[in-house]
Amino acid sequence: MSGRSGLLPLLVLPAVAVNLLVFLWPILNLAGLSFREGLPGGGLGTEFTLATWQELAADEFFREILLRSIVMSLSITLLALLAAYPLAFFVHRSDPRWRSILVVACISPLLISAVVRTYGWLVILGDRGFAPAILRGIGIEPGRLVFNMTGVVIGLVEILMPYMILCLLAGFGRLNHTLEEAAASLGAPPFTVFRRIVLPLTLPGILLGCLLTFVLTISSFITPKLLGGGRVLLLATEIYDQAIVTLNWPLAAALSVIALGVFGLAIFVYGRIARAAERAIA
Amino acid sequence: MAPHLELHALEKRFGATRAVQALTLAVGKGELIGLLGPSGCGKTTTLRMIGGLMPASAGRIVVAGRDVTALPPHQRDMGIVFQNYALFPHMDVAQNLSFGLEMRKIPAAERAARVTRALAMVRLEAFARRKPRELSGGQQQRVALARALVIEPSILLLDEPLSNLDANLREEMRNEIRDIQQRLGITAVFVTHDQSEALAICDRIAVMRLGVLEQLGTPFEIYERPANEFVAGFVGRVNRAPAERLADGRLRLGELLVQGSGTAGPGPVTLMIRPHRIRLGDGALEGPGWNSATGTVTRRTFVGDLLSIEVTVGPATLLVEQHSFAGAPGPAPGDAVQLAWRAEDTLVFPARVPA
Ligand SMILES: Nc1ncnc2c1ncn2[C@@H]1O[C@H](COP(=O)(O)OP(=O)(O)OP(=O)(O)O)[C@@H](O)[C@H]1O
Ligand SMILES: [Mg+2]
Repeated sequence: MSGRSGLLPLLVLPAVAVNLLVFLWPILNLAGLSFREGLPGGGLGTEFTLATWQELAADEFFREILLRSIVMSLSITLLALLAAYPLAFFVHRSDPRWRSILVVACISPLLISAVVRTYGWLVILGDRGFAPAILRGIGIEPGRLVFNMTGVVIGLVEILMPYMILCLLAGFGRLNHTLEEAAASLGAPPFTVFRRIVLPLTLPGILLGCLLTFVLTISSFITPKLLGGGRVLLLATEIYDQAIVTLNWPLAAALSVIALGVFGLAIFVYGRIARAAERAIA
Repeated sequence: MAPHLELHALEKRFGATRAVQALTLAVGKGELIGLLGPSGCGKTTTLRMIGGLMPASAGRIVVAGRDVTALPPHQRDMGIVFQNYALFPHMDVAQNLSFGLEMRKIPAAERAARVTRALAMVRLEAFARRKPRELSGGQQQRVALARALVIEPSILLLDEPLSNLDANLREEMRNEIRDIQQRLGITAVFVTHDQSEALAICDRIAVMRLGVLEQLGTPFEIYERPANEFVAGFVGRVNRAPAERLADGRLRLGELLVQGSGTAGPGPVTLMIRPHRIRLGDGALEGPGWNSATGTVTRRTFVGDLLSIEVTVGPATLLVEQHSFAGAPGPAPGDAVQLAWRAEDTLVFPARVPA
C-alpha cells in the first residue's frame, strides 16, 4: 500500500501543472494589474501604485456594491434552496421508473442558454407580460417586476435552481425511507422526522448546493444586467462595466481580486460547516 | 381474555398481486405470536400494516378494542424491529436508543438509565458511543432490537430480528426476547422463516403461504397436527409418499398396507411421516396401533448426534432419523431393516391435484 501511494502524487502532477498555467498565473497577473496606474482609454502605466486600492477603500459606493452582492447572493441561495428542496425530495422519492425522467426534466433548463432564459423572464415579468397580468387578475398590484432587484432575484433563482437540485439529489443518497418509518414507529410526528432524520442526512447536499449557487450568483452578470436594466449594481456587473465600458483595467482587476476573496471566504465557510456536519452525521 | 391485537379480514394488494388475503387473527395480551412462512408469503407486509407503515387495502386492525386502521404510525405505540435494522446513521448507538424516549418526553436522567439498561440487555454496553456503521451486522441487529424494546411499547413487531446472528447468539437472543417479552407482558408479533425459532419461543404460530393463513395454532399443534400438507412440509422435516386410501380406511403404499390418521380419501392421498418417528427394529414393536415394514438401506449419513438412514420401502424412500449410540454405527447400505411407526404418526392428506 505505502509503496504504491508513493506514486500517487505523481498522478496529480499534470493537473497541478495545468492549474498553475491556466488558473494561477492569470490570477497573479490580474492581481498585478490592480497595482498599475490606469491611463485614459484603457492604457496602463508602468509604475507600481496603490492608487486603485486606496480609491476602493475610500469610496462608499464600492462597499455598498460588495454588501449588496453578498446579501443578494445569500438571499437567492436561500430562495433557490427553498424552491428546490421539496422538488428534489419529490424526485428522490418517486418511482425509480419515473425518477430519471424527472431528473432530466429538472435540469433540462440548462440546455438553454442563460441569456435566452433571461430574455424569457423579461417577457414574462415585463409590464405587459403575463406575470403582472395574472397577479392583477387575482387582485394583487405587483408593482414593477423587472429592471429592479425583484427581477434579478426571480430570474437568478430560476436559472440557478437546476444546479441546486442536482446537488440536493446527490446528497439525498444517504436517505432511506425505512429510516423515516423507524422514526415514526418510535413516536416521531412527521415534522420531527424531517427535523431529526431527513434534514441532518441531507445536509451535505444542502451545503454543497448552497455553495455552488452562491458562487454562481455572485459571479453572474448577464442576468443581473438584463433584468436589472442597469439599475442593479453588483460586483460582477461593475467588473464588467469597468473592464469593458470604462476601460479602467486596474479597477476591474482590483474588484476581481475582491470577488475572488469572497469565493475563498465562501469555500472556507462551507468547509468548516461541512466538516462539522460530517462529524455529526457520518 | 379479550384479545389485545386483532386483525379482521386484513388484505393488501399490489396491483394484481395479493400479498395478504383475508387475514384474521387475534393476539392475546402478552402473547408472542409467530408469523412463519416461506419468502414472499406476506409476513413483512402484514407486519407493516399492523405498524401503520403501509395502508391496508381492506380489513381492520384493532388494538385493545380500538380501531387503529387509519392511525399514523407515530400514534400507534408499537416498537418495530426492521428486517434491515434501519438504524439512524447520524446518531450513535445511545442516541438511537434515546430517540424513542425523547419522543415520549421522558426526562433526560431516566432516559440515560433506560438506555443503559437496554444496552446491557443486548450485551452492547461497550458500544454506546459507536456509530451504526462501526458495528457488525449482528451488533446492529441487537441495537435495532434494543431501540424497539427500550420504549416498552404495548406491541412489539419483529421482522426476522435474528436473521444475521450466528447460531449461538441467535439462540441466546431469542431466549432474551422471550424473557423480556414475558417480563414486560408485551404483545409481540415475531416474523421468521426459521421454523425452529418459531417453535421454540412462540405461544402460537401463524403459518402463511402466498398471503393466506394456512394454520394458526400452538407450536405443538402446528408440528403434531398440521392442518395440511404445506404446513406439515414446512414445519419440520417429513417423509412424503403417495398412497391410496382404501374403502376400509387402510392405506396402500405399494404392496404395503398401513394405518394412518386423518380422514382424507378414499382415493389418492399423500402420506407424511416425520423421520424421527420411525423406529429401526426387529419387529418387536409390532402390535396394535403400529405400522411395520421391511426395507433396504440405500444410504447412511452420520451427523454426530443423529444417524440418518434412507430406506427404500416398496415405491417409497423413507428417511429415518435415530439418535446415534456409541459403538453402534447402525445398518449399512444394502442391509435389510425392519421399520415401525405408529398409526397416529402417519399423517394423511388429500393428494395434491397436479397443477
Ligand atoms: N411495495 C411492493 N410493491 C409490489 N409488490 C410488493 C411490495 N412489497 C411486497 N410485495 C410483494 O408482496 C409479497 C409479499 O412480500 P413480503 O415482503 O411481505 O414477503 P415476506 O413474507 O416478508 O418475505 P421475506 O421472508 O423474503 O422477507 C411478495 O410477493 C412481494 O413481491
Ligand atoms: Mg420480509
